[in-house]
Amino acid sequence: MSIRLLKNSVSRRALLSTRLYHPNPIEYANSTVVAPLTYTMDSPQSRILTHCLQNEVPHWGFTERALLKSIQAVGYDSSMMSVLGASNSPSIFHSSPAVMELVKFNLVKKRHALTESLAAAGLGSPAALPSLEHLLVKRLQMDVPLSKQLGDLFTQLALPSQFMVNVAVPELFRLSDDMIYFSNEKDHFDTAWYSKRLGVSLAYTTSKLFMAQDNSLNCQDTIEFARDKLHRIMTLGEYYNNVEEYAWYSIMTTVNRAKAGFSRH
Amino acid sequence: MLAQCNFLKSVPVGVRAFSSLNALRATPKKGTLKAGGNALQESKFEPLSEAQRAYLDRALRVNQAGELGANYIYQGQIFVLSRRHPELRPTLQHMWEQEVFHHDTFNALQIKHRVRPSLLTPFWKVGAVAMGAGTALISPEAAMACTEAVETVIGGHYNEQLRCLDSQFEQRKADGTSGVPEEVQSLTAKVKLFRDQELEHLDTAIKHDSRLAVPYMMITETIKGVCRLAIWGAERI
Repeated sequence: MSIRLLKNSVSRRALLSTRLYHPNPIEYANSTVVAPLTYTMDSPQSRILTHCLQNEVPHWGFTERALLKSIQAVGYDSSMMSVLGASNSPSIFHSSPAVMELVKFNLVKKRHALTESLAAAGLGSPAALPSLEHLLVKRLQMDVPLSKQLGDLFTQLALPSQFMVNVAVPELFRLSDDMIYFSNEKDHFDTAWYSKRLGVSLAYTTSKLFMAQDNSLNCQDTIEFARDKLHRIMTLGEYYNNVEEYAWYSIMTTVNRAKAGFSRH
Repeated sequence: MLAQCNFLKSVPVGVRAFSSLNALRATPKKGTLKAGGNALQESKFEPLSEAQRAYLDRALRVNQAGELGANYIYQGQIFVLSRRHPELRPTLQHMWEQEVFHHDTFNALQIKHRVRPSLLTPFWKVGAVAMGAGTALISPEAAMACTEAVETVIGGHYNEQLRCLDSQFEQRKADGTSGVPEEVQSLTAKVKLFRDQELEHLDTAIKHDSRLAVPYMMITETIKGVCRLAIWGAERI
């Protein structure tokens, strides 16, 4: 009983004093799915898509052929293709719904894998979290095996369609939000909240574009490019803060001088 | 508002109940949490629904924007009145300090709970300073009428939130018991405290002759309308 009380008091202290994730893992049971996916990671859909990403996509790209090979390799009937694409609306300008699901799964699974182990570390102290640069590089390195297929992936994501609005753009936002939240980067409560996420999204997207044409060993040039890009964006943020601070200081000084002048007369 | 709250638990957002694809959607099987293995999992609440999370996000965002507005209104009033009416300075300073504390609290909660701030934050700042300084320029009574109108709307808004937090966040646990999660209890306690302090500010404004402001009805009703519009906007944008 006393151990339980002690545990309760410890979790209460952790809950009220440290950085948490909404909904927090201290109080709530883990969700069965990783949103926006609608199936669990041990479902047939996940097994097929994981197999496809690891074994077929590096050779065949994000295509139905790659999916069909994985469906057969995992031991299902080819009609499974329609189950895979069930949560996406068909689009005449886009690939099949199953390919859209493969693209979505690639984005969501890698985003989840990036921060999965960090939630527990972050509960103790934000200082235990890695840097933003580390997370950006780690996410880019996850795509090194697919570097030859990135052009195809970008086409799928950037094609103006419902898929771009509902999946591609929100996933980019979630990724940049996760990278800032699960790193030791300072977060903000004003418009800087938006500009920082926009900057990180920009650094990530341009680095991925660079990676699509990168021929260096293990995409080393891309990693250098990403580090440089992120550093430039953060420096730009510092410039803005300094200018804003100086402008505010100047306004206050002018107002106080004017008030002092008036009070003398 | 309460009628809207009643949907929070019953409607899973983004799920069409009649869809033939519903069968493919992963749902927690009976005893899933128990099968997860240990007493710790059993003692945890089921995850908040998408609608409950959306409501908490929206509540934190609008509260943060509201407290930012109140903070800047008092700042504008103090800027104008501290020289002309120094006798009001301690009263305004006390109320301002409480608003700064409320604002800091919601800033911390916004970051802690991963809620995006209102995109219109710069407009709230400029508008609030203009409202505070503008009414203070008319007269001290007009400044107090502004406080009365703002605190009336904020008090009502907090009361609506408390009704919703009290009635819509009873979560089940895997062991069959149920209760209100501590983060929701903590938020409810903060909202209650801040609601009481806002209503104290309302009393203070009335004691300092807010009702003698000319034109009283026009000032208060206009400001109440603006505040309701700002609440509507901050919840959504």
